[in-house]
Amino acid sequence: MGLLKTFTKTILIALILLITTKGVTFADGGFPVRPGRLLISPSISYFFASSQWDSTGIKKPFANGGKYTSFGGTLYSEYGINRSFAAVASLPFVYNQYTQNTAPRSTNSSGLTDLETGIRYYLANIDFIYYFSLQGTAITPLYSNNASLGYGKEGGELKLAFSGSAPIGDLSCYFNAADGVRQYFGGNNGPIQNRWNATFGLSLDEEFSNQVSATLSGINSWSNDKSFVSALPETNKNFSFIQASLSYGHSFTHEISLFLSGGEFLTGKNTGVGTTVSLAFIYRLDYR
Amino acid sequence: MFALTGLQQVFAQDEKGGDVSTTLTAHSSDGIFGSTASYTFSVRNSSKTVQTGKVSYLVTTEANKKVRADSARVKIGVGGNGSYNFDIPGLKPGFYKINFMVNVTDYDDTTRKAFGIRPDQIQSQFGKPADFESFWLKTKEELAKVKPEYKVTEMPDSAKDNRRVFKVEMKSLDGLVIRGFLTEPVTKNKNKKFAVLLGLPGYQVTLGPMFGTDPDIAIFTINIRGSGYSRDVINVRRESYIVLNLEDKNRYVLRGAIMDCVRAVDFIYSRPELRHDNIIAAGGSLGGFLAVATSSIDKRISFCSAANPILCDIRNLVNEVDWPFIDIRQYISTRPGLTMEKVLENLDYFDGKNFGTGLECKTLVGMGLVDPIAPPNNVYIMYNGVRAQKHLIIFRDLGHEIGKKYSVYEGRWMRDTFALF
Repeated sequence: MGLLKTFTKTILIALILLITTKGVTFADGGFPVRPGRLLISPSISYFFASSQWDSTGIKKPFANGGKYTSFGGTLYSEYGINRSFAAVASLPFVYNQYTQNTAPRSTNSSGLTDLETGIRYYLANIDFIYYFSLQGTAITPLYSNNASLGYGKEGGELKLAFSGSAPIGDLSCYFNAADGVRQYFGGNNGPIQNRWNATFGLSLDEEFSNQVSATLSGINSWSNDKSFVSALPETNKNFSFIQASLSYGHSFTHEISLFLSGGEFLTGKNTGVGTTVSLAFIYRLDYR
Repeated sequence: MFALTGLQQVFAQDEKGGDVSTTLTAHSSDGIFGSTASYTFSVRNSSKTVQTGKVSYLVTTEANKKVRADSARVKIGVGGNGSYNFDIPGLKPGFYKINFMVNVTDYDDTTRKAFGIRPDQIQSQFGKPADFESFWLKTKEELAKVKPEYKVTEMPDSAKDNRRVFKVEMKSLDGLVIRGFLTEPVTKNKNKKFAVLLGLPGYQVTLGPMFGTDPDIAIFTINIRGSGYSRDVINVRRESYIVLNLEDKNRYVLRGAIMDCVRAVDFIYSRPELRHDNIIAAGGSLGGFLAVATSSIDKRISFCSAANPILCDIRNLVNEVDWPFIDIRQYISTRPGLTMEKVLENLDYFDGKNFGTGLECKTLVGMGLVDPIAPPNNVYIMYNGVRAQKHLIIFRDLGHEIGKKYSVYEGRWMRDTFALF
């Protein structure tokens, strides 16, 4: 029975080693949220644009050497209510500035923008590798009559997300893909938008301490209002763009991670040619 | 039936030495076929002489009863390659052994494989004792009368992987002391509760503390009576263990061993830091059997993972496997008045097939198609009886073992079940 003994030991040891392989750091994807887990992610971001794509997609600099800069701070949070539902919320604040070489040389605006609150539902999985989720989000403007902060309209979004992870040798990779349809209400011009993103990430070590990811994302927004308000996508109603970004993440502990991202708008219509940098801090706290 | 396809001869290969080699390709990734088994058997002649002779196959039941056979004459030139496709139609649902033989001038070889035909239709012709459930209910009531008297001792010197280690002692059926080891991740979260992996031992395996870096799982390994660290009273030779008190189902060693596993669940329930609704019972071989048996009679277990579970459909095992029936026949021969039929009547109460029908938790089963100890027919019969949510992973070319695919699937399914996203 020596053979039996060896086999059985192998079976048990293999099991214990392999149940540890889930640990990729991500948020806001198709993966379900652990019940009782609170994820808090404060982030800061920087947006810069000195040129724009016009309504036909032709790139041109802003008149009079104009430059848009925007500093943002967002508090994102999600909480696992049970194995099927998670609550999500996002509270953004921005400080926008437009400068040019003629008077008025500088125009500023700042304030809370659109609060997003939603419920994510764990829809299904395929072999516990690929996960699907559906998220409904309500958009509530926290300002009024300030076109430089947003449309000032309530809205709603339905988003389908698809995520998966897989080992690559001793390392691990994951992907998130999501597509959401968003409608702003009130008036005839409240845009309807398609917002999408696709991310591929790779862990750089077995402990998931370091990872890199690449994301392609975009928005297509349709409205009868074709005007150009500013370089910020959130302010125009009829526009589109595609953005590429790279991200590096470091996990200090199982609970604390930091992500640094940089992105560039690749193509667009009726929006600024944006460059973005962001730093996000993620803190996970388990309440059960 | 054989079909020769593309017998080729390649001349003037300038290679020194070389042999005859064979390759077998099953036209099914897991060796399971709907109605017709289909294979390609290739023979390569790398020797310096023309090889003549025959290739053949033999299909038998798992009890080695001949079902089909065929052969074909072959002549393979120097450097040549012969490929032989063949189909085997019309077989009844079940698993079969198949041997492919090549017998040519300088080479004789046999490749042993197995395949299944519509295994979801396999059923045992043997039933479950009418009092099976009441037998185990009474046994559990007997166990409940034994005070566990848990003794938990931390072993700081054994801590590793950021885990605390505890030696656990408790009393089980008949007052026997059994021992196990609990390892728990170190955490600063005082509210943290861990899902539990209950690791069950293979035959006569000593289970020490088990580790791993998973921060969500506590691991409790138990040494059943007569195994590893639980040999105070029962301490028999390896071959004697499986037959100990086999003449009496109320004294048979596995009755107590299964109760030891139930007592382990009692212990888990006694610990406030462990999640009582997230218990996975897992093991291989005898451990797989114990996982099925314990999960069947103790509904507190929420996930059962059984790799290569032995002792399934025991009455059909008699003519299929050497072990444990070599030891059982030896035991019977030394017990006047004891018969194989009486032993089998007792073993009906310890048949994995009969436990399988009582499983209500999610169940994962793994098996090897050429397993000589837990044959696929028998494991599949147990699996077919499970009415709960279940999944089976078949390893076409493995014997009494499972591959990495099983462990990965097990980990993912368990995490999803316990919502450890």
